[in-house]
Amino acid sequence: MPEIPAVSRRSLLGGALATGAVAVGAGSARAEPAGPGAVLPAPTPRRRRDQKSMIGVPYDVHETVRVGVIGIGNRGRGMGEGWAVVPGCRVTAVCDIRANRAKALADRLVALGKPRPAEYGGSEDAYTKMLKRDDIDLVYIATPWEFHHRQGRDALLAGKHVVVELPIATELDELWDLVDTSERTRRHLMLSENCSYGRNELAMLKMAHEGLFGDVTNGHGGYLHDLRSLLFSDTYYTDSWRRLWHTRSTASFYAMHGLAPVAAAMDVNRGDRMTVLRATATEPKGLADYRERFVDRSHPSWKETYVNGDLVTCLIDTAKGRVIRAEHDVSSPRPYSRINSLAGSRGIFEDYAGTSSTGGRIYVEPDHSGHSWRDFDSYRKEFDHWLWKKIGDDAANNGGHGGMDYVLQWRTVQLMRAGLVPDIDVYDSASWCSPVPLSVTSLAAGGRPVEVPDFTRGSWVNLRLGLDSRETNMPPVA
Amino acid sequence: MRTVRTFRSLGAAVVAALLVIVSAPAAAGAEPPPEPVASRTEVSISSVDLDGPAVSTVKVTVKNAGPQRMRSLRVSFAGPAGWAVQPAVTSVAGAFGVDATAAAEFRIQVPEKRDGFALRTFTATAAYAGGDGAGSATATRTQTNGAPLADLAAAYDNVGITDEGNTGPGDYDGEGNSFSAQKLAAAGLEPGGRVEALGAELTWPDVAPGTKDNVTGAGQAITLNGKGSKLVLLGSGVTGGATGTATVYYADGTSTRGPFGFPNWSFDPADAHGATLVASTDGRNRPDGYGNAGIAYRVFAHSVPLDPAKQVEFVVLPSNRNVHVFDMAIAP
Repeated sequence: MPEIPAVSRRSLLGGALATGAVAVGAGSARAEPAGPGAVLPAPTPRRRRDQKSMIGVPYDVHETVRVGVIGIGNRGRGMGEGWAVVPGCRVTAVCDIRANRAKALADRLVALGKPRPAEYGGSEDAYTKMLKRDDIDLVYIATPWEFHHRQGRDALLAGKHVVVELPIATELDELWDLVDTSERTRRHLMLSENCSYGRNELAMLKMAHEGLFGDVTNGHGGYLHDLRSLLFSDTYYTDSWRRLWHTRSTASFYAMHGLAPVAAAMDVNRGDRMTVLRATATEPKGLADYRERFVDRSHPSWKETYVNGDLVTCLIDTAKGRVIRAEHDVSSPRPYSRINSLAGSRGIFEDYAGTSSTGGRIYVEPDHSGHSWRDFDSYRKEFDHWLWKKIGDDAANNGGHGGMDYVLQWRTVQLMRAGLVPDIDVYDSASWCSPVPLSVTSLAAGGRPVEVPDFTRGSWVNLRLGLDSRETNMPPVA
Repeated sequence: MRTVRTFRSLGAAVVAALLVIVSAPAAAGAEPPPEPVASRTEVSISSVDLDGPAVSTVKVTVKNAGPQRMRSLRVSFAGPAGWAVQPAVTSVAGAFGVDATAAAEFRIQVPEKRDGFALRTFTATAAYAGGDGAGSATATRTQTNGAPLADLAAAYDNVGITDEGNTGPGDYDGEGNSFSAQKLAAAGLEPGGRVEALGAELTWPDVAPGTKDNVTGAGQAITLNGKGSKLVLLGSGVTGGATGTATVYYADGTSTRGPFGFPNWSFDPADAHGATLVASTDGRNRPDGYGNAGIAYRVFAHSVPLDPAKQVEFVVLPSNRNVHVFDMAIAP
């Protein structure tokens, strides 16, 4: 994971997210549409002549997928190992601004019996040298958020496919830039949205497609994870990069893990689309309170002021009249939850709520009546996604986050080796990340509704497969 | 449990299609209605590829069999609830003459085909001016995956009868209560015994007390062969509103539907919903043993009409868990 001093990292940032206080001014300086409740526009830039949609574009067939890793912090280290154990995948290069981290991952891969990857590091732009290699097909980026756009863009321009950790970018113009760069370079960029490959999430998706919930009307998701101790750790987030985001802006930084599965179940960008977002935020209390109770007065965090609301909620309308509630809270004491709830005219599913082995509960007509929840277990078994049936055991043995990481990595490699269309494309990735900047705009305008851009430029109306895919085999490894 | 899941794994899919055309009168305020005519507009839906997950293409054809040119045609198409369709409605430009056809294409998201039986119903509606003057016509197409359950016993999902010495397994009403096997026997209902009702010969569940002995309505498809005038169902209701529709599918791919209902096993009038009392027992088994002596707990019969000329193939029960069915049979 590249590391630079916090001050210089802030100097890299631009746009609404970088300057929370400025964001309010910037929002109010917009050309105001008529009426106080009118939707703030988010214009769609014109598609250039030299680019065309990446929807439905398959990967070229890669006999072996050769991966270059940028950013070897907590996330990159685990995922770097994860790529290496997927059949037909090889990590050929690793990069971190701290060269010792690149070496440590290379050593670890050798210890696992894998070929030693080339090592890059020692400077902020060391990754650009790595991108010049011709033995990299896929670049995986797990750096702090502020680097994602630039590194993702550079990787596309270098002719690589890209998987980027959440979010792929934090500003609307950056999201559009990644869409456009993907379309121009004919390379795919996808959000590393592992939770969309979660076992419950995929079963929820398949139940929605079966019609078990009837006509889906609403869904809730989010990222509710008490990260306070990690945010104040001096070692977990390099240079405390994640905590510093809470000093800069009021935004839904990281709701994608809960939003994306709900959006997928609603076929967002595959027949529906998110149209309008409005955000609310509570006061920022959690981090300051935690610091007061648990952090020594000599800690550098005492110079910080936290501005991001503890709970930031986005209500998102879709073209088909559905509503998504996406929440973000990493600074309050609470058990972990991504919510994962989907409801419609015939029933409802809720995750993180039941006492069953799956953690989910369900109520669907005509199976259920009497106003009481039922365990999700039998439903998950019936609607288990083929990926989990096929590689669930491998995922349990190899992957973090309950196996979701391995499933994402295995499936990505399979798609590239078999020459298939991605389950998650740049349009999904941009849409799912757009609440980051849009929440800033909405909150700066007092919760005004904000238009959600159509990154597909009109193609959202077309039904197409995505995460609810047809079963295919991993090509044999020679 | 949902219907599809309760069915056994079956091999090749069996597909049956049913086309029903219904015309509706022209909307008020439209052009002066012509003389009443029999519906002559024909709407048909092409076979839907159910091998999902996939996006399948469906063609809806509208034939103008009326005396006037058909114009302002709008065709809508829908699949089972929750299945996305693109577009939901499409307009056909221009006008077309007598006996001419127009077609509209739709795309529908089809879920993964899983083990068990499933009915998939698709509906297309044509709204138009001219033609036969009816203003609209609708077609439905029903396709099936898999085969129905072999018999009603294969769908048993509830314990409604227990021994007075072991009432624990019973849960007829969702509160742990059940019929007393002893009191049923006293009323003439014994395991495997014949029950005559509404002209049909039925069989009381041939299972031991304390085991699953009846089906709660959840849209299960049950194989039933024969011809006759009516389908007779034997059962009773719990809580309130134990009503629904039984759909009978025939060997020629057509179907008929009939509403029926059962009174609550205890408190409704015995003829509620048009049912007929078959047997009445004294008291019931509660989780802690026999009780409620002096109160009647009852079994009823009800029927739905059949097309006597057609061979019955299977019956789909209503989706209402308050409806409990012990047996069903065809009456001559």
